[in-house]
Amino acid sequence: MRTDTDRPGLVGSSVKRVNDPRLLVGRGRFIDDISMPGMAHATIVRSTIPSGTVTSFDVADCEALLVLGVDEIAAATRPIPCVWIAPGQEQVEVPVASRQVRYVGQPIGIVVAPSRAEAEDAVECLAIDLAAEDGVADSLQALEPGAPLVYPERGSNIGVEFPIGDPSELVEEAMASAAVVVSRRLRIPRIVPSPLETRGVIADWNPGLEQLTVWMSTQTPHHVRDHIAHSLRLRADQVRVVAGDVGGGFGSKEHLYADELLVCLAAMRLGRPVKWIEDRVEHFTATFHGRDAYHDARLAMTEDGTFLAIHTSITGNLGAHFSNVGTGPFRVSAVMLPGPYRLPVAGASIRAVFTNTTPTGAYRGFGMQEAAWVRERLVDEAARELGMSAIELRRKNMYRSDELPLVTPTFQEYDSGDYGRALDLVDARVRAYAPAPPASARIRQGIAVATHVEFTGLGPSKAQDIVGFRLGGYETAVVRMEPDGSVFVSSGVMGMGQGIETTLAQLAADRLGVPLERVRVQLGDTGVAPYSAAGSIASRSMTVGGGAVVRASTALREKILRIAGAKLEVSPSDLELVEGQIHVKGDPRTGTSLEELVTRAWLGLDLPEGESPDLECKYVHEPLNISYPYATHAAAVSVDLDTGQVAVDAYWVAHDSGVVVNPMIVDGQIMGGVAQGLGIALFEKMLYADDGQPLSTTFMDYLIPLSSDVPTMVMDHYETPAPHIPGGMKGVGEGGTIVAPAAIGNAIAAALPEIAEQILETPLSPGRLWTLIHKAGLHDG
Amino acid sequence: MKGYCMKPGPFRYIAAQSVEEALDVLASAEEDVAILAGGQSLVSLMNLRLARPDIVLDINRVPGLATVQADDSGARIGALARAAVVERDASVGRYVPALITAIGHIGHPQVRNRTTIGGNVAHADPSSELPGLLACMEGTVTLASASRGAREVGWDEFFISVFTTCKEPDELVTSVNFPMAPGWRYAYDEVATRHGDYPLAGVSMGLRVDGGVVQEARVSVVGVADRPVRLSSVEAAAAGQDASAALARDMAGIARTECPASDDAHVSAEHRRWLAGTLVSRLMASMVDAA
Repeated sequence: MRTDTDRPGLVGSSVKRVNDPRLLVGRGRFIDDISMPGMAHATIVRSTIPSGTVTSFDVADCEALLVLGVDEIAAATRPIPCVWIAPGQEQVEVPVASRQVRYVGQPIGIVVAPSRAEAEDAVECLAIDLAAEDGVADSLQALEPGAPLVYPERGSNIGVEFPIGDPSELVEEAMASAAVVVSRRLRIPRIVPSPLETRGVIADWNPGLEQLTVWMSTQTPHHVRDHIAHSLRLRADQVRVVAGDVGGGFGSKEHLYADELLVCLAAMRLGRPVKWIEDRVEHFTATFHGRDAYHDARLAMTEDGTFLAIHTSITGNLGAHFSNVGTGPFRVSAVMLPGPYRLPVAGASIRAVFTNTTPTGAYRGFGMQEAAWVRERLVDEAARELGMSAIELRRKNMYRSDELPLVTPTFQEYDSGDYGRALDLVDARVRAYAPAPPASARIRQGIAVATHVEFTGLGPSKAQDIVGFRLGGYETAVVRMEPDGSVFVSSGVMGMGQGIETTLAQLAADRLGVPLERVRVQLGDTGVAPYSAAGSIASRSMTVGGGAVVRASTALREKILRIAGAKLEVSPSDLELVEGQIHVKGDPRTGTSLEELVTRAWLGLDLPEGESPDLECKYVHEPLNISYPYATHAAAVSVDLDTGQVAVDAYWVAHDSGVVVNPMIVDGQIMGGVAQGLGIALFEKMLYADDGQPLSTTFMDYLIPLSSDVPTMVMDHYETPAPHIPGGMKGVGEGGTIVAPAAIGNAIAAALPEIAEQILETPLSPGRLWTLIHKAGLHDG
Repeated sequence: MKGYCMKPGPFRYIAAQSVEEALDVLASAEEDVAILAGGQSLVSLMNLRLARPDIVLDINRVPGLATVQADDSGARIGALARAAVVERDASVGRYVPALITAIGHIGHPQVRNRTTIGGNVAHADPSSELPGLLACMEGTVTLASASRGAREVGWDEFFISVFTTCKEPDELVTSVNFPMAPGWRYAYDEVATRHGDYPLAGVSMGLRVDGGVVQEARVSVVGVADRPVRLSSVEAAAAGQDASAALARDMAGIARTECPASDDAHVSAEHRRWLAGTLVSRLMASMVDAA
């Protein structure tokens, strides 16, 4: 990584991740590492049909500690609330269990036994009758006349429809006036999140204290706590959620699933701890999926390539019910559709459709990968139609840095940056690239770019409310200097492998003038961490949580300097705090040791008038705006005409995510994101039969990239501090995934101009590409 | 009710200490016995409860079954030899290099550390590499039983259909034999969506070339039918022809007509047939270049 900023101190330093030594020697504490005396094991009973009714649920002679069927569960629980409600959305909560089954994998019961194997044996003895009805999996098929109805009482499979951005008259006027309109139907298929650690939970009910403790693999401990308490009719303080090490989430662990709630219910009924670990086969249908949308998209421009308007009609697949975020990903696709381009007119229409499939929810990129795929493919197709360089066309239409800040037609207040610089950096890298010539005439090579602006951080809370997102956008940090001078930091954001424990410690250590090893970051335990409404989603841990740590650490530093100033009889503003010493700026001889000052402060001594003895500061950071990082990526690919195989030979990223706290961790976030984007581009698609029977149920039939499939990446970073965020950070968790599929898709299109206009849908697997190549006559002669 | 499973159903476990003991268990058991060697297919199937054996007969402690022998008459691989061991065996590399190539396409190193040659062949997965090479090399499988002793059967008799072989319930695969005859050379190549996955098509080719003329050819394909398929028209078309680029093109064209194939969710039958032809032509080019 190369940055153009060289700061002294811990911020901007590639310090090693504090958790890695423990994790690397196998001392992690993931859910399945935890065992408790008397612990029993659960398996969830699930629908095996896409659509129908549970006509009977008979325990028969099943040997188990506990069996709960649909009716008992429904009676014992309140429905789980939806969180992001679209205009006109009638379904605002989802029953925990119901006799109506609408997808394969829907939970209909729970069985608990002394071991998981015995629980699975017991399920085989249950007498459950399912009356099957016709189902439908594809959102366009679900809209055809006579299609099976997921909710017959609704009369249609349309869950909700609404527009975003400029009104359609304005859009159509702009389209009609344009010299060139590039119009395509593009598709982004369904993705299975596939974290290394699947979901898992242990619930333990203490009947004396009437307290439920829940160890869970989750990105959002407080949010999950609230929904458990709501659904089980407990007070919030009766439920404590503890998230230890989390082996990846990618959005799939940002809410409460019915499964985890059933385990809590079972633990309360049994009075002993109950564990459930999601099996990989379950993960394919029981964990919410990502993506799944058709876009009928248009990009309008003048003859010289000046963009006039962009519009997309989104048909989004909700699955069997609104997930917690419902239409959220489709909405974010719409609002981020314009990307970094000057588009005077922009809008979208959203049609969200019920089908007999697993509900769709959050997955790394959250609608923005779809937006990038649609926009960046259209831009490359426009360049081809106009006979212009795709890079020149982008450069011509990108906002210049002096045009920012501004508000886009889709209501995004782009904050800061120089979009063209990322494009220029990547362009220079690509020009310097000298690929080895192809091994045979049957190998085609192509290079292309894709670019984007990204929505990271969430907040402010009032803006969330305006779009129907019932989730506070703030984040809180508590920073405390203990009597021994060590530092405790806590926040409601969550570590899930991204390294946030390290970067938050860097921020605090940097402000407090203590070594990194003197700082401990405690996350993920609702009994310890300050309340967080949203947790770690939307690339917000560093921008919103980090901003709170910056402010709380700064407040604590100021308090320490006030106490020191009184003791030394100098103005606090004349003091500095360096390496455990407080002294007058530029005069290290005059001063006091931090540790001594802290020890005496906690004794209530040496305090100026009105100063309390606790060295603990809490700050609630309500951001004034989203932060908007951006990037340009480029890919070089080889395509084998005879087999349809694609190799990504080289990959470049130029990126501005504001102030970089730890360059190594930022590199890792981008590389991992690109690897997942490469998976979307080339391999990944959750397959269903037309009726909703899942066809991808193991990693044998759903491929994700291996390390050998992922190229070495060359990265350029530069920093435009986020103006609204204390510390200046912008989010970096999702950008790699958002734009990589478009970069790779564009490179494949560049390699195959004969079929470029048909590169509209991922994955660009050998099967799909070979068929396009074959039909184009590239196998003739 | 069929549930979602991650743990196998109940079974009895027997760890045989000798071939005789294993054969006795197989001969006397009245229930369904699954033989556990490397476990790379069996254990997954059991965890999914798609395989529900009453008895798991573990042969991993049986001595004498992991032998690897190769010379100019071919390779005789004991049923328990691990793929990774065979892959690194110098004599196999010298005398039957195609076997090393084919093994290199089986899964990933972690899988090859466990998987056995006998288990791979006995499982009879129609997309598996080694059955295809065995078909091309006119290989054999040695089976043993307590009552009838040992018998050696040819590949064509051994492989019946998907996961189905001529092995009787009381028999154990003891070795897999890849014979070499003077003048023959073999090669293997495949196309998979991702390296190490089951191939969309995998082709084995054997050639006996003398004075630049193909005397005999053998071509087999896996991944296209319920068991390995020999492309006899391709073989016939090659015999007596100059080993040339033109011949490679002709053979590829015939392969694309002769090779059976069907559509699945990922690739079309046409694509698979095309790949068989492409692989035939690439193998011809590499083998003629290497000659």
